[in-house]
Amino acid sequence: MADNKQAQAPEPDVTPYASDSSLSTISKATYFKEAALRNLFLLCACVAVAGVGLIFLFVGLKGWPIFEKVGVWQFLTGATWYPTKGSFGILPLIVNSLLAMAGALVLGAPLAIGTAVFLSEVASPRLRELVRPAVELLAGIPSVVYGFFGLVLLRPIIARLFGGLGFGLFTVWLILAVMILPTIAALTEDALRSVPEGIREASYAMGATKWQTIWRVLLPAAKIGIIDAIILGMGRAIGETMAVVMVAGNARVIPDGIFKPFLTLTTVIVMDMPYASGDHRTALFGVAIILFIISMLFVASIRVISRFGKEMG
Amino acid sequence: MRISRSAACLAVAIAAVCLSGLSGCTKADGASQTSLTVTGSTTVLPIAEVAAEDFQTANPGKRVLVAGVGSSAGIESVANGTSDIGTSSRDLKPEELTLGLVDTKIALDAIAVIVNPSNPVTGLTKAQVSDIFQGKIKNWKEVGGPDLEIGLVNRDEASGTREAFSKFVLGKADFDPTAAVLPGTGQVRSVVAQAAGAVGYISLGFVDSTVKALDVDGIPANEKTVADGTYPLWRNLHFFTKGEPKGLVKAYIDYVLSDEIQNTIVRDAGFLPITAGGK
Repeated sequence: MADNKQAQAPEPDVTPYASDSSLSTISKATYFKEAALRNLFLLCACVAVAGVGLIFLFVGLKGWPIFEKVGVWQFLTGATWYPTKGSFGILPLIVNSLLAMAGALVLGAPLAIGTAVFLSEVASPRLRELVRPAVELLAGIPSVVYGFFGLVLLRPIIARLFGGLGFGLFTVWLILAVMILPTIAALTEDALRSVPEGIREASYAMGATKWQTIWRVLLPAAKIGIIDAIILGMGRAIGETMAVVMVAGNARVIPDGIFKPFLTLTTVIVMDMPYASGDHRTALFGVAIILFIISMLFVASIRVISRFGKEMG
Repeated sequence: MRISRSAACLAVAIAAVCLSGLSGCTKADGASQTSLTVTGSTTVLPIAEVAAEDFQTANPGKRVLVAGVGSSAGIESVANGTSDIGTSSRDLKPEELTLGLVDTKIALDAIAVIVNPSNPVTGLTKAQVSDIFQGKIKNWKEVGGPDLEIGLVNRDEASGTREAFSKFVLGKADFDPTAAVLPGTGQVRSVVAQAAGAVGYISLGFVDSTVKALDVDGIPANEKTVADGTYPLWRNLHFFTKGEPKGLVKAYIDYVLSDEIQNTIVRDAGFLPITAGGK
């Protein structure tokens, strides 16, 4: 399982094919088959790249006019989102998205890292085979099911316990924390498992307890991998839409409490797209551009941190 | 209304082209007309559309084309002859009275203000409802209820119910932007049913025992008060025709007004049969 995960992120300096010199000793038929396969895989990669490129181009072209109309700065820092009345400020949406993500991370990351430590260091093999599929199953549940669960089950309970309608940051945090758990847990577990066995043995040999080994040796050694895992979790949390739209309540203001309805960058698109026209529709594409840039920042920061980590190691 | 004027005109034009393409005959030739165009309000759309499907099934060879482009565009298109029927969720404006349009009322749309059944408040004045939905009144104790925060539940801007409620209650004022915005009648009802301090609004036809409809200005919200015109939050839904309806147009309108359609399609869409009213 762990090997599988690592295969998803191949080292850039490893060539997956034999070099040309070794191909010269094999038959022509084999040579063409190899070449055809190589081009097939190249095509697959091109489709992925073209997909990203086309989406970015389309969203960019559709959304750009709103930046020209209201100005990029005004769009980003305007405090009022009321497109049908001509106000296109997405600051409340940005703040709300960040609040939703931060809370989910505070709740979800420790839980996920704890789960990973348990799976990698504490659990017996038998228990591990029971717990790991359960965690992986969490990642497989469609987000709309999380949302429905939140709307129908969680929201009324929160409304009863804390007053209000049950919509709000608190409800979203609980749902998102569970949703990002499998992402962070799986990648953290991989990071912990890739710490060489010798380091564990050295720690035990010096008389460290299990807890000391985990806390002082393993977690610091797997630090870079864990940070990557958390950033991927952040990306998942900020991009999540269906689950959030069902329990956020969709008020287009910065909420004045964690039990008050709010709207995020992703949910505004779901809520407004069915009826938006003209500048309103363009503004929604503008929001999509901002989301695209945020997710690019996450991916870039993972790359930078990983490179930084490799240089350190 | 919500759709831009140019888009609406385009839709009407397309509908007109479709019509002329499908039936070679002119409108004046009423008896042999095989196709008619119904354009206008998105609120009326569910009735007009489902009724059109059933009408076509019942009258093989006849075609009814239905488009939702907004009340104003619907009235405009029937006035200039591109549609046979213009549907509307509002009365004619003074400047539209001279267009020679004949009004056939086809259903009643009443909106109920709903709260949780545990809420002891049984009625509000229209002004109080307005203040609540503007966010000026934030606690039920200000309107004679318990010390409980009001949880506002609003509809999305695409909703015809929201548009009508806004016009009836708020006038030119804006909704409180901190209110929860939910995309459907069912969601509003279930949220209000589950949260003690919640208040929302839905079409009267969708009120059930899980929520409590408040009296407005002392008038309970039910079919009787809507029928006699005393309950303040209601409107007629209209079919406008250029001159008295005849031929296929009349057949379709009579079909929509039949008891069968009124008690099934109209009620299923959350509206009240026009026979319940009469005013």
